[in-house]
Amino acid sequence: MNRLQFFISVTSLCALCLLSGCMEWDYDIDSDSVNLSGKGLFIINEGNFQYGNASLSYYDPATDSVQNQVFFQSNGMKLGDVAQSMTIWDNRGWMVVNNSHVIFAIDIENGREIGRITNLTSPRYIHFISAEKAYVTQLWDNRITVVNPSTFSVTGYIEVPGMTMETGSTEQMVSYGDYVFCNCWSYQNRIIKIDTRTDQVVDQLSIGIQPTSLVIDKNNNIWTVTDGGYEGSPYGYEAPSLYCINAESFSVSRVFTFALGDNPSEIQINRDGTLLFWINKDIWRMDVDDLRLPDTPFINARGTKYYGLTVSPYNGDVYVADAIDYQQQGIIYRYNSRGDYISEFYAGITPGAFCWK
Amino acid sequence: MRRTFSDIKSNRCGVSFLLTVIIALFINNTSFGQTEVLKNIDVWGTRPLRDTGVQRTVFDSLALKQNVALSMADILAFNSSVFVKNYGRATLSTVSFRGTSPSHTQVTWNGMRINNPMLGSTDFSTIPSFFVDKAALLHGSSSVNATGGALGGVVQLSTTPDNADSTKHKIQYTQGVGSFKTFDEFLRYSYSNAKWNLSTRLSFASSPNDYKYVNRDKKENIYDDNHNIIGQYYPTERNRSGAYKDFNAMQQVYYRLDNGDLVGIDAWYLNSNRELPMLTTDYGDDWAFDNRQREQTLRAVMKWSHYRRNWSAIASAGYVHTHLAYDYAREVAPGHMESMTRSRSRIHTGYLSADIAWYPSEKWMFTVNAAAHQHFVMSRDKNVILIDGNTAIVGYNKARFEFSGALSAKWQPIDPVGISIIGRQEVFGDKTAFIPAVLFDVMLYRPKNVLFKASFSRNHKFPSLNDLYFMPGGNPDLRDESGYTYDAGMSFNHAGSSPITYDTGLSFNWFDSYIDDWIIWLPTTKGFFSPRNVKKVHAYGIETRANIDLRFPHDVTLGLTGNYSWTPSINRGEPMSPADRSVGRQLPYVPLHSASVVGTVTWHKWGFTYKWSYYSRRFTMSNNDLTLSGTLPPYFMNNILLWRNFTFRPVSMQCKLAVNNLFNEHYLSVLAHPMPGINFEFFITITL
Repeated sequence: MNRLQFFISVTSLCALCLLSGCMEWDYDIDSDSVNLSGKGLFIINEGNFQYGNASLSYYDPATDSVQNQVFFQSNGMKLGDVAQSMTIWDNRGWMVVNNSHVIFAIDIENGREIGRITNLTSPRYIHFISAEKAYVTQLWDNRITVVNPSTFSVTGYIEVPGMTMETGSTEQMVSYGDYVFCNCWSYQNRIIKIDTRTDQVVDQLSIGIQPTSLVIDKNNNIWTVTDGGYEGSPYGYEAPSLYCINAESFSVSRVFTFALGDNPSEIQINRDGTLLFWINKDIWRMDVDDLRLPDTPFINARGTKYYGLTVSPYNGDVYVADAIDYQQQGIIYRYNSRGDYISEFYAGITPGAFCWK
Repeated sequence: MRRTFSDIKSNRCGVSFLLTVIIALFINNTSFGQTEVLKNIDVWGTRPLRDTGVQRTVFDSLALKQNVALSMADILAFNSSVFVKNYGRATLSTVSFRGTSPSHTQVTWNGMRINNPMLGSTDFSTIPSFFVDKAALLHGSSSVNATGGALGGVVQLSTTPDNADSTKHKIQYTQGVGSFKTFDEFLRYSYSNAKWNLSTRLSFASSPNDYKYVNRDKKENIYDDNHNIIGQYYPTERNRSGAYKDFNAMQQVYYRLDNGDLVGIDAWYLNSNRELPMLTTDYGDDWAFDNRQREQTLRAVMKWSHYRRNWSAIASAGYVHTHLAYDYAREVAPGHMESMTRSRSRIHTGYLSADIAWYPSEKWMFTVNAAAHQHFVMSRDKNVILIDGNTAIVGYNKARFEFSGALSAKWQPIDPVGISIIGRQEVFGDKTAFIPAVLFDVMLYRPKNVLFKASFSRNHKFPSLNDLYFMPGGNPDLRDESGYTYDAGMSFNHAGSSPITYDTGLSFNWFDSYIDDWIIWLPTTKGFFSPRNVKKVHAYGIETRANIDLRFPHDVTLGLTGNYSWTPSINRGEPMSPADRSVGRQLPYVPLHSASVVGTVTWHKWGFTYKWSYYSRRFTMSNNDLTLSGTLPPYFMNNILLWRNFTFRPVSMQCKLAVNNLFNEHYLSVLAHPMPGINFEFFITITL
């Protein structure tokens, strides 16, 4: 064999394996097909951590129709990794994508991006103070980030006392007068009070272990539910509780304690501020003036893993998200205000948060 | 804060050396002496009783030594039917063996199990193939011969002494320089005589690993003066936060006693410092975060081997120490990083084992083996400030004793028929399980070595320590995963020398496995993940392997090896809720089809290898959704190697060029984890 023959052999060997294929990147985008009309419901699908498969769905109750992958269809790019929450302000939808370190602003009529805020640590929720100021809470950061929504820029930070970066956790926010109240969740037990005029934490209230969510009712009472930590946690493990906090005096007015081992979460309130809803395996409902926890669930679990909850501000319908196995499209069950089943539809992976248009 | 790579600067002298050698290469007279070439040590022979019914894939020793940049993940991807799930270049690489999960593949090194006891799995990207002398797969039931808990199979890795009749010193030095400022260095010194055999191996690999790719998961905006978006485009980005520095050292000392016994020790130290690459969907700046994992692992095994005419005994003692550090930090002020996560884990494992084999006659063989591992694990995941203002650590501190003992009888009642019965007892902490296996083979046509094999086993896999105790989320109530496996297959091999020297082989196996109580980590309403026994899985399919080695006149050789597997791995559990659509579907990240072909042609001092692999579409969702993020498209991967050997007595030299991803494919092994396009590395090896 001479050199020529050798290289013929090499070429032949290559020919055997010349089955090179190209991975297809044609995502079949059709932004014109996105129609976000009506008084609909945005569903924020977390996706799986580290897989960048979060997504946005839109459901129109009037037509009982759902559109999935709205963000991608409108923009030709993925929403990101672990979509956490969405807030509508000034006809823009602000989507907080936690592990992508970004907040997207979209046009709520067509889903197209208007702008984005970056340079965030681990954003969780955005709360608007004015057209020029919003607060962004974060995990793994002892600061609440102050942003300017009109310029999509970070303008400052609110230091939260008694936290390190490693134990930093600020979550949901509600407004009362010139103050914003925020629950501190992971390895925390506090509600903090921020003066929006000075962007300073001016007070804090210690409650049970790990308050998960926050709403304010018609009586200007703030409600939060703690998860009680977990067994073996050095921070403590206790029975979870539902707290009613007077916003004016910033003091606890009522406490309702669950059984040890219960997992209450996702406290929600109807538009009038009269009825509380939460998940504790089943779906529970309670009048804000009640003095004891309800005895029977509002909606029973049926082999479901309820992960998200919302109440329609338009007709009081209740929407419950079931993440199933967290690796497939989750399902949303729709019930009327009496708890009667109406319909269901599939959204994206791990539907965890809702936002009404 | 951008990091600098001082090691890359320090490699400048190495590059100069490399350039000098390259120049020398082109001006040298290539007619010097004979070339010393690594020899393939595959052995074809009569089936030993020990291997009765065993489905084993033995890796070509040349494949392990192709180039110093390869890890065992690369070897498995191109030389077997095992699916390698790769999170990026020089990043976590786990395997799915016969459609099972990474923790269902047991990995042994010189007989000692090296799966991380916290995770249960093994990162094959941290095992350089140059530090492995022999590698083999034991498929399905055949794994019970070696250990328990291998629901998919076992990857056996080992190091061996050189066999030398006379005193011999040998030095081998390899340097590789490649794309993305990649540098690989390898040095081996070995000495052997009739009694002693010493070997020292050192390697260092580093790279910023900042390969370019077009990011189709996000877009960059073009703004006008009023901050309105007037255009968007898919950015061409670099792999961010993907740098690595890996150092490996191995020392082997063997001594042959006067009575023929062999006593030896193998010690392997790994020091790895790797950043964790940012996702394609990450809008953070790489300088604003430091996301890094560091590992130091020492593995050592001391072995005494005693072989006699009709019996043998091997006793081993070993130790593994692993220190894992994970840090995630954020820049809070220019140049000032604050730690967000500071996780530390320490593992101490002691190991003892004994294997005794007795051959009372040519038709019978009895074996006894027992292996004990004692793990001490300390895992610290987070520092928290308590309600009273003090601090505490979230983590766990556990010890677990693991014992695996087996008795086997192997019998050839008549010449072509072999039967092997194995009973293995597993003890993990306070839990026990019995693992039976029956293997059978029959030689159907001896001239062509046509062999039929079949086997059956019941196997158990105990939860890992993280599964049980991780804080938060560990679930001490988990049941062990268990299953049945059935195998059957045919193999054939034949060698001859007319009209040319040839050696061919073909095997075809069918397998069928049922696994109950499959463990999956799922999110909880408390914000963390927790493992649960949730699935029954039916994994079945076929595995085929074919090879042909031809030796032509004029010192020309041609070798071809191909693998193909079809692996349905189906969720057969109960629906988790009425809306569950995952039942009856393929498991995520398990390809239905996978194939690989490696072809090598050599002529005199030249050699050329073509490596090709294929993975079919992988679903990323349990309901096999076909939408945007629900699947990863199939891909083909093509790599080539071209080399030439030179001899300058007493020095021999080899120059080798490796081209990876020859056709510059854009592909993903895991969602949102970018992979490199075409890349090159040039190696020079000098052997004295």
